[in-house]
Amino acid sequence: MLKVTELHKKYPNGTHALKGVSFDVKQGEFLVVIGLSGSGKSTLLRCINRLHEPSHGTINFEGSDITNIKGQPLRTLRSKIGMIFQHFNLIPRKTVMTNVLAGSLSRTSIFKSILGMFSDEEREKAKRFIKIVGLAGKENQRADNLSGGQQQRVSIARALMQNPKVLLADEPVASLDPATSHSVMQYLKKVNEELGVTIICNLHFLSLVRQYASRVIALKGGKLIYEGQPLDIDENWFKTIYGEEAVEVTID
Amino acid sequence: MNTMTQDILPGENKGAALKKVKAHIKAYIIDVLLWSYIVLAGWKIVYEKAIIGARYSNFSWDQPLLSLGLGFVIALVLFFTRVSIGKAVNGLYERNPEKTVLSEPFTILGYVIFAITFVSGLLISQVSIREFLSESGLHGAKRIFLALFNPNFAIIQDALFAGVETIYMAFIATAVALPVAFILAFFAARNLMNGSRLTMTIYSVVRFLLNVSRSIEPLVWAIIFSVWVGIGPFAGMLALSLHSVSSLSKLYSEQIENISDGPIEAMTATGAHPIQIIWYGVVPQIVLPYLSFTIYRWDINVRMATVIGLVGGGGIGTLLMQYQGLAKWNEVGLLVIIIAAIVWIMDYLSSKIREAIK
Repeated sequence: MLKVTELHKKYPNGTHALKGVSFDVKQGEFLVVIGLSGSGKSTLLRCINRLHEPSHGTINFEGSDITNIKGQPLRTLRSKIGMIFQHFNLIPRKTVMTNVLAGSLSRTSIFKSILGMFSDEEREKAKRFIKIVGLAGKENQRADNLSGGQQQRVSIARALMQNPKVLLADEPVASLDPATSHSVMQYLKKVNEELGVTIICNLHFLSLVRQYASRVIALKGGKLIYEGQPLDIDENWFKTIYGEEAVEVTID
Repeated sequence: MNTMTQDILPGENKGAALKKVKAHIKAYIIDVLLWSYIVLAGWKIVYEKAIIGARYSNFSWDQPLLSLGLGFVIALVLFFTRVSIGKAVNGLYERNPEKTVLSEPFTILGYVIFAITFVSGLLISQVSIREFLSESGLHGAKRIFLALFNPNFAIIQDALFAGVETIYMAFIATAVALPVAFILAFFAARNLMNGSRLTMTIYSVVRFLLNVSRSIEPLVWAIIFSVWVGIGPFAGMLALSLHSVSSLSKLYSEQIENISDGPIEAMTATGAHPIQIIWYGVVPQIVLPYLSFTIYRWDINVRMATVIGLVGGGGIGTLLMQYQGLAKWNEVGLLVIIIAAIVWIMDYLSSKIREAIK
């Protein structure tokens, strides 16, 4: 469903973050992207929903080329791709409900959204997703008063509100403690398996990768250097991806 | 460990050399200007006024030119010693970590410049202890002070009405300025406008206009508007709101520039329209600081409204001007008390409200 070909990204400051990355994503996969900080993982994810503009190469989503689309077609594309972030990026001072409803902005008119007039249907739907991520009853609490793990679950509900085909997760557990990390990963797995949403997720910990990924790609210095099954990453591959000095840390 | 590669351009070493030359030129220009100032101020003000005692020294344009020429020469000679302030501020001296900046030769030159400026300032403002303590002067001051401390309460009704007029005038000026500044602030925020060249042009134009209108004092605007719409509170209100628009826009836009990008990124990723991105990603982050700035602005406007009244902007300031012109010091005394009370109450309320919504 998603095909990335020879993708390059060069930032205006000269940093060449992606150097010709190509890969495919199939419907229903849980694809994990690994690599050191600065290897281009975040840039790659942000190129897929065009938060960053690719410098060269093509991205094909559901059979159409989306590398250069603009305006309304781009917004429609983004609405089909949910995204969750390392720092949750929730709207401060707003309730859980408002934050989740923000996921439906692309299909709400500008006028109605400024007045906060979301339809009953959308509200029902938001409630259902809040329940799915285990936060039922917290609809009217301020989102910034919740714990880190709960905030990340709100952001999953917000992404689900978009009816996404794909969910991009940029280091979703990097600012959470180990126990909460697993809980958030389990919700992502649930979304993947029960709602059939394809997931592309950046991760740091190999133990999490082995547990949740259905396939893994690894980036190093902006190049794709590994593609395969999570359990096939052995000591040698590990050293290639993370450098000779690296020692694996586990999270349980 | 960072595996991202940085492309090193071949011209980068040349760039560094050019930068060093530029820094030296900048340093030299600073030195020339400073030395010209020392020569000119020392000669025309300190020497002629204080030492020769000339009341009006004759001035011609060759004198500053001559000073500039001397400045060039002195700065050139001293550029290679450690007294160059230009080199010091451009970081071209190697610092001795054992020595503090305060004992460096260039700092001593700094003291000299400060001393010359201080003495010149005293001479130019014609500071005179004798006149401050002269008998007739003290007598006049005593008369006014006595009247001020003996206010005439007969006019309290007029004074209170004028005070109320001032408060409302300031309130309307703030209320009118608020929506305009709210919208302008988005166009004056760099982080929202750096998308394309067109938006950057809009940003620069808006910023420029705001800076120009802010640099014109509300007092001047009040004079312009009192000719335009006639003397009275309306002229004062227009002057205040114009100035409020420019300063509120500036404060608001700085607030927008300080917000976190996270929510904006998240809203963009949902496929929201740019207006929705601003409403959901930007506005919730700025509402409280805006409210606080706006209340503070109202507080400032009440004080300014008093001053603006002096030039015909209406309210208690105009009343003050009228009684002062008639030398009715008892009435002026009452007005001063009322102004002080209003300012104190506004100040207290606005700080309490701002604390509460923080």
